[in-house]
Amino acid sequence: MSRRIPVEPDHIISVRGITKNYPGGIQAIREITMDVHRREVVCVIGPSGSGKSTFLRCLNGLEQIDAGTIIVDGIPLDGNRRHRDEIRREVGMVFQSFNLFPHMTVRRNICLAQKRVRGKSDEEAFAVTHALLRRVGIEEKTDAFPSQLSGGQQQRVAIARALAMNPKVMLFDEATSALDPEMIGEVLAVMRDLALEGMTMVVVTHEMGFAREVADRIVFMDEGVIVEEGEADEFFDAPREERTKAFLSKIL
Amino acid sequence: MSRRHARDAGVAADALLDIGSLRRYTECNSAMPMAKRPHIRKFLSAVRARRRGLIEIGEFLLFAAIAAVVVAIGTNNLQYNWQWFRVPRYLFTTGPDGLRAGVLLQGLVVTIQISGLGLVLAAFFGLVTALFRLSRSFTANAVAQIYLEAVRNTPLLIQLFLIYFVVAPIVGLSPFWSAVLALSLFEGAYASEIMRGAIVSIPRHQWESCHSLGLTSTDTYRFVVLPQAIRRILPPLTGQAVSLVKDSALVSTIAIYDLTMAGSATVSNTFLTFEIWFTVAAIYLLLNGVLSLLSHLLERRFEVVT
Ligand SMILES: Nc1ncnc2c1ncn2[C@@H]1O[C@H](COP(=O)(O)OP(=O)(O)OP(=O)(O)O)[C@@H](O)[C@H]1O
Ligand SMILES: [Mg+2]
Repeated sequence: MSRRIPVEPDHIISVRGITKNYPGGIQAIREITMDVHRREVVCVIGPSGSGKSTFLRCLNGLEQIDAGTIIVDGIPLDGNRRHRDEIRREVGMVFQSFNLFPHMTVRRNICLAQKRVRGKSDEEAFAVTHALLRRVGIEEKTDAFPSQLSGGQQQRVAIARALAMNPKVMLFDEATSALDPEMIGEVLAVMRDLALEGMTMVVVTHEMGFAREVADRIVFMDEGVIVEEGEADEFFDAPREERTKAFLSKIL
Repeated sequence: MSRRHARDAGVAADALLDIGSLRRYTECNSAMPMAKRPHIRKFLSAVRARRRGLIEIGEFLLFAAIAAVVVAIGTNNLQYNWQWFRVPRYLFTTGPDGLRAGVLLQGLVVTIQISGLGLVLAAFFGLVTALFRLSRSFTANAVAQIYLEAVRNTPLLIQLFLIYFVVAPIVGLSPFWSAVLALSLFEGAYASEIMRGAIVSIPRHQWESCHSLGLTSTDTYRFVVLPQAIRRILPPLTGQAVSLVKDSALVSTIAIYDLTMAGSATVSNTFLTFEIWFTVAAIYLLLNGVLSLLSHLLERRFEVVT
């Protein structure tokens, strides 16, 4: 267990002035500062290429930041591999393209990390897996392979796989963007339940209805910076910034 | 998807003469209009492939007959005295304790041992080199690169001699293990390129989901990347294994009694030049045939359900 950094005890994620440059001089995000409270649901919205995915991927170290600090549950996400791995165990992530392991059954997809990372026995891992599959409503698919599932079912398995690690925070990067319209609802329902149960969530989404209903706070990003943030209803009803108004008028 | 369809089509084409199953096949797939059914098109092309296969067998037989005639005329002109009846005793001998392997089959056993061990070691060298080249360590990269360049740009025969005459005396390696080492280092270099290619072809997001779950790099390779890569590695690696078996004939130059050496010795004892060399070639052909079959079975085993 690494030494925890004293931060505001209520802040599970604390981001200070982070910048990420990609090769070729692209500044994907610039000096972003933000906190996430425990049990808070933050929805990140913004136009394509504004750096939403990059920001999310920095939070669990999938991208290395070029400046600033990130502290997750008291652990600094610095160059230290042990810190990074410890944070990754506590932070679950769901991707736009599901990213299940195609050569494993649903059960093995969900059991793998439980056994290898958490050191659980087969029985323990199976029990958790079945409980989670029931919760996301696809118990009967335990022994199916990912390619035998619909997109919505695959994404629910991906959510179950992340939840099986018992994470303190869940990150969602456009979890419904690759889905056919009739499947978006079933995935959003799972995410909504999760939020109601008090999971801390950072959600990048284009589903404004979902954001308004579920989010405690909306963060609007553009060109790598946070342009505006606020409580959900307030944000949608009375945006302050011109760029926010322009964006909202285009998509609502 | 397409793989399963292709297999279905193959099965159906096998059943071509069985009208009942053909009807069943078309009936259970008749939901869509004919022209829009990709599996029907696949099926037809599979039928055509089988037909082409028959034609090719015919062509092959014709060719073999012509070759046989040419050889017969040629050897007739040479006044070669065929004595096939003398060959079996070099395959099997009957002694007081029953049937025993003759010199050629004893040589084959050595060839199989050397190739088998060589294959395992080549896979090991290949994998290690591939991982070295994919690692971020400068030293590992340099070592792998030097090994690859050295092996690929010198003749195998010279590598074999270097190991047998220079390395083996220093470290006390037997001729047998010198041969295994030389062959596996050689084939390992080519295998590593195949493996690296397959590993790189696994999409980046597979790595990312492993990382986001907190899996270590070792576990990511072991459970996620390599099992997927092996499916893509097996077919080209079979070609490499066949090369290894063929290249193992070179070990006869360092006094190892493999199949080639056994053939050569038998020829000089008996002057059955044509018969023995034809037999030796046929044995190599058979061995590699078995190898391809095994790899085919393995491929099925690692097939990803699609
Ligand atoms: N791996 C990469 N290499 C180089 N540039 C990248 C890479 N990933 C993202 N970028 C660039 O960084 C910027 C931010 O990209 P990012 O994917 O974070 O945007 P986004 O807000 O998630 O967009 P979208 O809504 O389309 O997903 C873009 O200009 C993008 O082209
Ligand atoms: Mg994105």
